[in-house]
Amino acid sequence: MSTKVVIKQSTYFDSVSLMSLSTKANQIEGVEQAVIAMGTEMNKEVLRNVGLLTPELEEAKTSDLMIVVKAATDELCESAFLKIEELFKNKGVAKGTSDIKYPTIDSAAKSIPEANLAVISVNGAYAAREARKALDNDLHVMLFSDNVSIEDEIALKQYAHEKGLLVMGPDCGTAIIGNVALCFGNSVRRGNIGIVGASGTGSQEVSVRIHDFGGGITQLIGTGGRDLSEQVGGIMMLDGMKALDEDEATKVIVLISKPPAPSVEKKVLDQIKLCKKPVVVYFIGGTEESVVAAGGHFAKTSKEAALKAVVLAGADESTINKRALNIPLVEEIRAKLTPEQKYIRGLFCGGTLCDEAMYIAMDKFDNVYSNIQKNPDYKLKDLHVSKEHTFLDLGDDDFTNGKPHPMIDPSTRIARFLQEAKDPEVGVIVMDFILGFGSHEDPVGVMLPAIIEAKELAAKEGRHLEILGYVLGTDLDSPKIEDQVNKLMEAGVTIASSSTNAGLLSREFVVKGA
Amino acid sequence: MRIHHARSGDLDWINQLQHTTFHGYVHSVFDRTINVECSENGELYTLACQHLDNAPNTMLIDMDRFSELAIKVNDKVYADQRIVHIGDQLLIVMDQVTTWECQLPFFPNDIGSVINHLAFTKKIIEQRGKCGGMKPDLTTSSIFEQETSRLLSERSLMLQEALLQHRVSDALRHAAGLIGLGPGLTPSGDDFLVGLLSTFHMENSLGRIYLGFGEKIVDVARTLTNEISYTALKQASKGRVRESITRLLHSITCGKQEELILSLDKVLNIGSSSGTDIVYGIVCGLEINIKAGGTVCPQKL
Repeated sequence: MSTKVVIKQSTYFDSVSLMSLSTKANQIEGVEQAVIAMGTEMNKEVLRNVGLLTPELEEAKTSDLMIVVKAATDELCESAFLKIEELFKNKGVAKGTSDIKYPTIDSAAKSIPEANLAVISVNGAYAAREARKALDNDLHVMLFSDNVSIEDEIALKQYAHEKGLLVMGPDCGTAIIGNVALCFGNSVRRGNIGIVGASGTGSQEVSVRIHDFGGGITQLIGTGGRDLSEQVGGIMMLDGMKALDEDEATKVIVLISKPPAPSVEKKVLDQIKLCKKPVVVYFIGGTEESVVAAGGHFAKTSKEAALKAVVLAGADESTINKRALNIPLVEEIRAKLTPEQKYIRGLFCGGTLCDEAMYIAMDKFDNVYSNIQKNPDYKLKDLHVSKEHTFLDLGDDDFTNGKPHPMIDPSTRIARFLQEAKDPEVGVIVMDFILGFGSHEDPVGVMLPAIIEAKELAAKEGRHLEILGYVLGTDLDSPKIEDQVNKLMEAGVTIASSSTNAGLLSREFVVKGA
Repeated sequence: MRIHHARSGDLDWINQLQHTTFHGYVHSVFDRTINVECSENGELYTLACQHLDNAPNTMLIDMDRFSELAIKVNDKVYADQRIVHIGDQLLIVMDQVTTWECQLPFFPNDIGSVINHLAFTKKIIEQRGKCGGMKPDLTTSSIFEQETSRLLSERSLMLQEALLQHRVSDALRHAAGLIGLGPGLTPSGDDFLVGLLSTFHMENSLGRIYLGFGEKIVDVARTLTNEISYTALKQASKGRVRESITRLLHSITCGKQEELILSLDKVLNIGSSSGTDIVYGIVCGLEINIKAGGTVCPQKL
């Protein structure tokens, strides 16, 4: 093990930059520990306590910046330092800005009279007030903020409905309007399929699959996760459906949500009957009969929803690569796993992707635990310890308290991944890697050192650890999906071609005695 | 050379700039603040962009960021005739500047609402406080961060206990163990102490008996932390803290919950974990006030 130290004399970086640099330094390939901190006596005491203090560091002054890297070899240390220097240079570059800032929604609306939509991301306590101001200015609203009361949500949506406007949210993370992705979204081609989604990554997945099957979308309207609750009554899903039904460019409508409250489901089904266009319904874990009875097209999975939409929109089904499940691969992986390796561990950034994989597993297994399980018997009691088949939505409030979403900061998932990889009963770990606007700039790259470490650990213990990855993105996204997939494959990760296939493959890998 | 206007500033500093000469040099440059070291008294003063809040020794300028200017460390700074010159890059005109003075609230006799607001504040820290400093990041794999959090937690608890039991020399030892401890430009331990010291200066606060303790902290802090953080600690020991902290203290002691949410939000957004660390210090200080009740006897100290 090698430790290298650099002391930057009289160097000050603001706290946000320092913490960000420290996080990134710890993610550099080969780095076991990286510390970037001011050279105070107390910080030196901490370094001494954890065995990282060197005589050189003893000399650091309170105004000096200490950089310490511990890695397996001198070469890895050197290489890490070069990368850290690069990070410092990037931080040091003064950046100009072309953003125009307006202090209020009113002044922005006056200055840009052609604007017709406001994206609001402020503290939940003020989000409703700002959203109302936007509606007063005849702007549609995308409300990224959460912690908005349900009473405010209802009032805003009713007000918007009366004005013929949309309120996407609160807690709405995904929309694509006029081919522009807002908040979290992917680059997909324009087409003739419109989406109304109450779940963010579910909507991303369906839009990406539509793109993959050769189709394109007109608009992706987010509703916020509570829209289909009894209280809100699906106001925005119904208005979104009507808007797409009236939109000339839209030929097919896709609805995505967790199962709605019964009274809301009835309203949505009644609306489907009134629609002039075909409607594909993907209610995760939902049932087929009522959808078909209403004249809708039921989809059990996100992939099926996208495929049905593309075909209904005019594509020739025989020309579509449906990305069939690789059955020989299933046999191959089953043969590599020992009888004890019988559990799936799903570590997801995307809530809907987690949900889909979990429901697919529940089709064959009873013992499926999660932090987002509806059934209280199978809801994880201790979130830090997995049980049998466990699927974690790491973007849920359970894990993001005081921390950024794992699509932005992967540290929570890295730590949990290494924990799961040590469990000899784990057969497969399945993970999503989400590309596109708002996501991490290299979601695969930050996980790779942990993946390599886990594989090596399992090999030392004489077991095969199957890691299944799904990269959600299109060929138009940045970073390039091809590069991300190749990096995973080079590290020995099996690639699933869709969220649905990720769920199916992970389930089939651990089926015993089939 | 760019010309900008000062919007508001710390009363004492504005008076000094307007009525006497000021000479110094640029100590450190950040995207939204520039620290200037005064040649006459060695103190740090801050030029800050307009969206930041007022603070001791600070002047807000009608700019959004400084990084677009080529201001460098050691550039000369001087002021005459109500104009501040920063090297050959920037002139700050003080013709329309308003003054701000730090005013801490009165600690109320009826502490019912303070208790409720403190409980609410703790809930918000739990939900939205940023990890990495006083609030431990339970998922981190960094042994440095784990050890730092352990020490921060241990020493802040021992400090609170020592203050409650009026063991001032022990309290000073535990406080010294916090100074300079933690990641970030202003170490988490320093930020905690800034929050704590601010509560001692509130009128009617039982913590006022610890004002001498604050001064002693500053004496030991000089060599234990960097100049930027030391300046904040020194000012806090005199009851001078940034505007967002005074507003939070107002909200906790005599405001409505709606104001408290707004004030908390503002402080929690300071720095990386600095705001959260400050709020931990405020909670600690106010709890000392409440727990001590009427039992504190200044003569014993």
